[in-house]
Amino acid sequence: MASTPTNTAAATPETSSTASTSLLIHLSSMSPEAVEPALANLAAAFPTQNILVALPESAQPNGIETAPNLRLLSYTPAAASATNWVLTAADYFNTYKLALENNASVCLLLGAGGHTLETESIRNLARETLSSQADLVVAHYHLGPREGLVNSAILYPLTRALFCSRPRFPLAIDVGLSLRMAERLATAAQRFTAQNQEDALLWPVSEAAAAGFSIAEAEVPKRAIPQPASLDLNALLNQILSSLFADIDVRASFWQRMRSVVGAQTIPTTSPLTEALDVTPMLDSFHLAYSNLHEIWALVLPPHTLLGLKRLSVMTPENFRMADSLWVRIVYDFVLAYRLRTINRGHLLGALTPLYLAWVASHLILVQSGVSPEQHIEDVAQAFETDKPYLVSRWRWPDRFNP
Amino acid sequence: MWQQVELALSQSAHRALVTLANFLPGLLALLLAVLILTAIGALLAALLRRFLTTIRFDERLSRNSLVPLDWAPSHGPTLLAARIIFWACVVLGFVIGISAFDAAYAGNSQMSFFLLPYLTHSVGAIILLLAGTFLARYLARTVLIEAVNARLQYARFLSVGVKWLVLVLTAATVLDHLEIGGTVVDLAFGILFGGIVLTLSLAVGLGSRDIVSRSLEKNVETEVLPPDPTYKPQVTNETLRHF
Repeated sequence: MASTPTNTAAATPETSSTASTSLLIHLSSMSPEAVEPALANLAAAFPTQNILVALPESAQPNGIETAPNLRLLSYTPAAASATNWVLTAADYFNTYKLALENNASVCLLLGAGGHTLETESIRNLARETLSSQADLVVAHYHLGPREGLVNSAILYPLTRALFCSRPRFPLAIDVGLSLRMAERLATAAQRFTAQNQEDALLWPVSEAAAAGFSIAEAEVPKRAIPQPASLDLNALLNQILSSLFADIDVRASFWQRMRSVVGAQTIPTTSPLTEALDVTPMLDSFHLAYSNLHEIWALVLPPHTLLGLKRLSVMTPENFRMADSLWVRIVYDFVLAYRLRTINRGHLLGALTPLYLAWVASHLILVQSGVSPEQHIEDVAQAFETDKPYLVSRWRWPDRFNP
Repeated sequence: MWQQVELALSQSAHRALVTLANFLPGLLALLLAVLILTAIGALLAALLRRFLTTIRFDERLSRNSLVPLDWAPSHGPTLLAARIIFWACVVLGFVIGISAFDAAYAGNSQMSFFLLPYLTHSVGAIILLLAGTFLARYLARTVLIEAVNARLQYARFLSVGVKWLVLVLTAATVLDHLEIGGTVVDLAFGILFGGIVLTLSLAVGLGSRDIVSRSLEKNVETEVLPPDPTYKPQVTNETLRHF
């Protein structure tokens, strides 16, 4: 099993001890205007260390004087796509290729909006990658209670429960990679790039866990998180979750053997909500779906879960609360239905959207009542861990009677 | 006179019995051919399935293929191959049976002339019916889910409308393929199809007034439009970030 140390050490400048290590920093999806601040940040983060900086061809600085310790490299980015706001298969592939060509031993991938990363955050990532012996270092962002909700509801708890990995952001856009991790991800990426799917998503945490590589986190307190260009939540959920569920399907033999539990996390303090958020549109969406999609849900969800949804549908907005156990069962049954192709996969993930919105509404109501959002997310993650035997059991014997 | 009636009746009964006697062997041959070939198909499919499972065909295929194949557990390549063998045998049974049926009517070609094309048309009609039903269900679900996620209150109505559009189209195609009904089917189809389209257009048009007006408001200066006292702006959650 992969060990999962967490970065809790105080930030100390350590660049001198690693001066001999060749570090490649890959800046993906960089606009020409963002190049100057990004390079300035990198120069400030590593004042004495020689750094290789890979920039897309279109973002090569013209007429900008760069710090002498930064050696600029150029790469051909993948064609523009709707998934450029996260790291794609092409990014991982290009990084490994450049690392090999330039004898880099460690790589940092900074995703879209990398120029908004603070010097300290970049240093944190680099230090953790260079000194912690971890093969994969994932950024740990400090988001507000209304941000990164898909990650909090599905990506984080599901990845944590199945792959017994700690990272709070499995789809982080800033990661540090050892050379062997970069190679493994490049191999995985090549399967997609060979099929001209350069914008396919990769799941580095599950890849590292399956390979038995160590995973660590690095604190990135402040960063502008890039948002997808499309505002269609249904399409975005479909894209992200189909990739995650497919990854879970591929690694079934691995995660079924994983029995350990990550354990309770320290709950960081988050900024309280300044004003109440109107959750009525989300509740309306759930109620509309309950009256229309019930027959589709009935194909996927067992009777006990449907009963839970029925109870949820008659709750008043003030008392609307989706039990963690109910949400866990919903997600697990959708993962299972994705595997079994119970219904068309596009339809399946479309039918999950209103249920996700119901979870968001429930989460926000709970947070507004004074519960710490991180505490609730931690509770959800633990509920996923506790109920993992249900998924394993139904995965192995899907036709067995279930309540 | 009674003798003539009796003679006419006995001749008629004789002709009917002869026709039936000619018809039955052909039908029996058709049934036998289908049954025997179905049994052979089931046997071959079972043997093939066992053989492919023994050599771990599914695993080998997914390991060696250049393109990663995405199979559902209940629809693996082994099962697909077994099913192809089974249905190929069933179809072969039908072909042999129809040939035997045709041969039984070599002397009396009128029956064969009517029945054989009808049999082949029936197979085509069944395929059309199945495809139409599947398409109707798929499109109805797609429309229902998309409409619910777009928060359209008339999502189910829209979905049912689309489903019946496709089903009516399928029914008309099937009847036309079987050459039943003639112009009556065309006329009925035109009326039904047009009626459903008109109903849907009216429903969507009337139900989407708010959406259209909001869309127009985004493009046109607000002062140009007269204020609508019944219009309630939708609350937007600008601070909510799903990603």
